[in-house]
Amino acid sequence: MAKEKVQLIVDGKRIDGRTPEETRSIRIEAGILNEADGSAYIEWGGNKIICGVYGPRECIPRHEASPYRSIVKCRYMMSPFASLEEHGRSGPSRRSTELSKVIRETFENLIISERFPNTQIDIFIDVLQASGGTRTASVTAAAVALVNAGIPMKDVVSSVAVGKAGDELIVDLNKEEDNQGQSDVPIAMSHQDRKILLLQMDGLLTRDEIAKMVEMAEKTCDNIYDMQSAALKKIYEKGEDENIEW
Amino acid sequence: MEKRVVLPGEKIADGRAKIPHTFFDGEATYAEVIGTLDEEGRYIALESAYRPSVGDTIIGIVTNIRRAGYLVDLNLPQEGLIVGRDVKVKLQRGDIVMCRVKMVTEVGDTELGEVRRLPRGKVVDFPPSKTPRLIGRKSSMLNLLREHAEGDVMVGNNGYVWISEKSNIPLVLKAISLVKQKAHRSGLTDEMAEMLKKETQG
Repeated sequence: MAKEKVQLIVDGKRIDGRTPEETRSIRIEAGILNEADGSAYIEWGGNKIICGVYGPRECIPRHEASPYRSIVKCRYMMSPFASLEEHGRSGPSRRSTELSKVIRETFENLIISERFPNTQIDIFIDVLQASGGTRTASVTAAAVALVNAGIPMKDVVSSVAVGKAGDELIVDLNKEEDNQGQSDVPIAMSHQDRKILLLQMDGLLTRDEIAKMVEMAEKTCDNIYDMQSAALKKIYEKGEDENIEW
Repeated sequence: MEKRVVLPGEKIADGRAKIPHTFFDGEATYAEVIGTLDEEGRYIALESAYRPSVGDTIIGIVTNIRRAGYLVDLNLPQEGLIVGRDVKVKLQRGDIVMCRVKMVTEVGDTELGEVRRLPRGKVVDFPPSKTPRLIGRKSSMLNLLREHAEGDVMVGNNGYVWISEKSNIPLVLKAISLVKQKAHRSGLTDEMAEMLKKETQG
């Protein structure tokens, strides 16, 4: 890139005023859609992502069905007004195909698919607004939506990106740090058995740096798990006087 | 009694425990869906997809007629089958039937028996994991509903609810939606009685 180099870290503070290990503000809501079996909405910094889950339901097309397990399908899509200059066009593209694939594979490792042979489970992710780190926010939201749908899973996954900018290791990269930093490593980790279900790397890092990053991601994922858990439990703890929707 | 909400992957019991909606990994039993765990270690799923088991009473809609029998929509990924020679009455497409699950294969094909045709009415979808609350202890909730709606209401384990066309359908729908949203609470029958009373008088 021929752009002028931006100072990403000044006096230990990042361009949006965060410390290296601080995440942006996160708000998660579960069960927001009436028609989907499970749903979640996440606001992560400038990201706004909505996720709906259907299933297990009849597998279409039929020839993709397996008599041994239900198959998982994922569709990640950016809306036309998400933030097009940085991420390309909306609709099917190389980028959305890749993200759909990595998110699907994350959940294929978690869903106990042997329970529902000959069926499919659909995960639909719509990015309404993007500002860096949509794949990690999508995984976090989809995990909440799947639990909300009552789909059997071995664990709950949380996800965060770690990276390197201005020669410092940082957590939860925003758009500028992602585009102009030295490295970007999105990580998804299951909560109970601490398995890494997604790890992609952009840029160059040493072995020591990777080890340290995984440690940082683990700590952050724990915090995110607490938020996911709180969002899911909130549905069952509403006050006595709430209005019933007919 | 103190109840706690558990998420998938949380430990329910040591060793292998035969509890629905859990899995075993060699050392302990873990939850596989969101549920509640009380102090005595009882785990109840809050959200779950229905899987038919033999003996369940379910409600379905006849969707197709084959030489072998009738295909029935059961609110499941696969349609169920009523073997033609098992039923004396002749069914038509769109008929609502109440039947018992006779057999389930490992790929989810269901065979139904003890078929009873229900009169005309409305069939609505209800979360299968919450049907026990809609029926109530010894059918208390269901009887309350029938009494106030002045008509028949039937609940299938698969989550289909049939409401007779003679009953007060809007009232029943309102009641169903109340159970749907407050299924995890205690004292639901009392709350329902109050609501129905208010609705029928006012």
